[in-house]
Amino acid sequence: MKKLALSVAVVALFAFLAVPTARAAEPIKIGAAFALSGSIAVYGEGFKKCIDLAVEEINAKGGIKGRKIEIVYEDNKSNPKDCVTAVRKLITVDKVPVIFGPAGSSNFMATAPVAQENKVVLLSAQGAAVGLTKAGDFIFRVFPSDTLQGPHLAKLAIGMGYKKVPVMYVNNDWGLGLKNAFVDAYKKAGGTVTDIIAYDEKKTDYRTELLRASKGAPPAIVNLTYINEGAIQFKQAFEMGIKTQWLCGSAARAPKMVELAGKAAEGVIGTYPSVPQNTKQYQAFKAAYKKKYGDDKIPIFGDYNYDMVYVTSKAIERGGTTADGIRKALPAAAKGFRGVTGDKTFDNERSPKFAEYGIWIVKDGKIEDYKK
Amino acid sequence: MDSISYYLQTVLNGILAGCIYALFAMGLTLIYGVLNFVNFAHGELIMWGAYFLFLFMAEPFGLPLYLAVLPALVLTGGLGLVMDYSVFRPIRRANRLTLLIAAMGLSVFLRNAAQFFWGAEVRTYGFEVMPGTQFLGLYLTTPQFAIIGVTVLCVVGVYLLFFKSRLGKSMRALSDNLDLARISGIDTKRSILAAWVISAVLAGIGGILLALDTNLHPEMGIANLIKAFAATLIGGVGNLWGALLGGLLIGLAENIGVLFISPGYKDGIAFVIMVLILLARPYVILGERSD
Repeated sequence: MKKLALSVAVVALFAFLAVPTARAAEPIKIGAAFALSGSIAVYGEGFKKCIDLAVEEINAKGGIKGRKIEIVYEDNKSNPKDCVTAVRKLITVDKVPVIFGPAGSSNFMATAPVAQENKVVLLSAQGAAVGLTKAGDFIFRVFPSDTLQGPHLAKLAIGMGYKKVPVMYVNNDWGLGLKNAFVDAYKKAGGTVTDIIAYDEKKTDYRTELLRASKGAPPAIVNLTYINEGAIQFKQAFEMGIKTQWLCGSAARAPKMVELAGKAAEGVIGTYPSVPQNTKQYQAFKAAYKKKYGDDKIPIFGDYNYDMVYVTSKAIERGGTTADGIRKALPAAAKGFRGVTGDKTFDNERSPKFAEYGIWIVKDGKIEDYKK
Repeated sequence: MDSISYYLQTVLNGILAGCIYALFAMGLTLIYGVLNFVNFAHGELIMWGAYFLFLFMAEPFGLPLYLAVLPALVLTGGLGLVMDYSVFRPIRRANRLTLLIAAMGLSVFLRNAAQFFWGAEVRTYGFEVMPGTQFLGLYLTTPQFAIIGVTVLCVVGVYLLFFKSRLGKSMRALSDNLDLARISGIDTKRSILAAWVISAVLAGIGGILLALDTNLHPEMGIANLIKAFAATLIGGVGNLWGALLGGLLIGLAENIGVLFISPGYKDGIAFVIMVLILLARPYVILGERSD
């Protein structure tokens, strides 16, 4: 009896060991160098939720050709140095063929040359900076470039009758890129920029910057800011009695910003790459998100992250699991693909070819679409 | 806003920033004076102080602000003692570099621990934002009144403690010469513990004020520590009044500077002043007392 038990055990052991050798069942690893700690972890946690949702859906339907997707998350600590470390680790240790890159254009742009040199595909789901993908042909983004957003913001300002504005911006690749795109378009449209104020990220005190921007009581101030920085700034401006129409870009458009700034954020207006919410793709995504997480506050850029997983999985299906195969398959896989965020066709710069821009406003503590 | 109040508001902003820097710098310089090393984990006492208050104000405690402050500061003081007991006491006689590295390691550990408990996201105490009170054309909010008032109280308290009490005298003796103080029969252990508690409580008070005025964030300490460090250098390391003046000087200089040069260089201003003062008074960094 003992012998029998032993031989059964041995057979069972071999059977167990034999299973993973069937390569088809091994998961396909995708790296994600995300901000899970540090100053923009606010974003990272939301992205992760949406990525996990997409992966769960794909795996539930049998994965890619029978193989499941597995995301290897690596904390990028929200700073360029650790972003590079995270991407290197994913390339050399986990040997992933494709990486979802860090948020924050400066962070992403620090890692792009590393991915390019190692011939690993790197994608961004929220990088808007002009020139984000210029490091080479392995670098893609599913989020539209600010080359497209700057003119929309200028049109908004002029359209609301603001012919003279000071411009504040967060001093990094994203802020600078959008500032330049805005200022060019605004001047061409006949506007005058009265002052340009760059400020650093991650500060707790922006009072004097705000004071300088408000000199001469301008009716509107353009502020290209983030969630935390924006929340602090609107609060401090409110406390100092600065009354103006804030005009922002896409990065401040987050429920978290409104939650942090409270009523100080009331009336803030901005542009953003709009995602038509009445499509069946968007409704399905929203319902799935609510089912998994219990609330329907879709995190900022969460929809783009969700689409990024689908675009990538389509490319893997088409081009195989090598980095080169995925790179070559991406344009064809995305062409005409209608995701949650619309048509994902790439242009020659490996950025989305199409983008619609909407206008958001904070009203009664909620972010809504602005109606003139 | 007319021109004079525009400049006055800037000066006021500088004083507010300066008060916060000064509270941090005083604690930092106190530990340096007594134990002769730069506690790079001081920033974490700032941050934990603010989060301890958050802890007592959130469920299950749900205490109002004025009741939550006391237990929060007690815990912050306790954290200072735990830091000393678990990390710094075993290596008391090690060289400065060892202490410095240990402090940096502790700083990372404490920051990650805070993130583990409260997450990396920005939080607030949940008070409704209020427009400031107008006062001679200047705007000042309640937390800002508190910043100035509490800083003055802390400075008076520290003055009384250091120059009027026995404990303060023994701490000053310790900071002048550890061995001599011990030979003279001063209870060095007790003085060191007192220094940790005072340093931690000052950090906690500063952290709470900063968080009331802005937000809570796991990196709020480390972000301000550098400025506090610059303030201590400007004031002469180990010199309490120097730390106070250094903090105010940096706060004023960087805020007034913003009016004239691009705010992108705001941090630069603090460090330019620091470098200039070090060039003019090199003995500051060599460890000789300037007082």
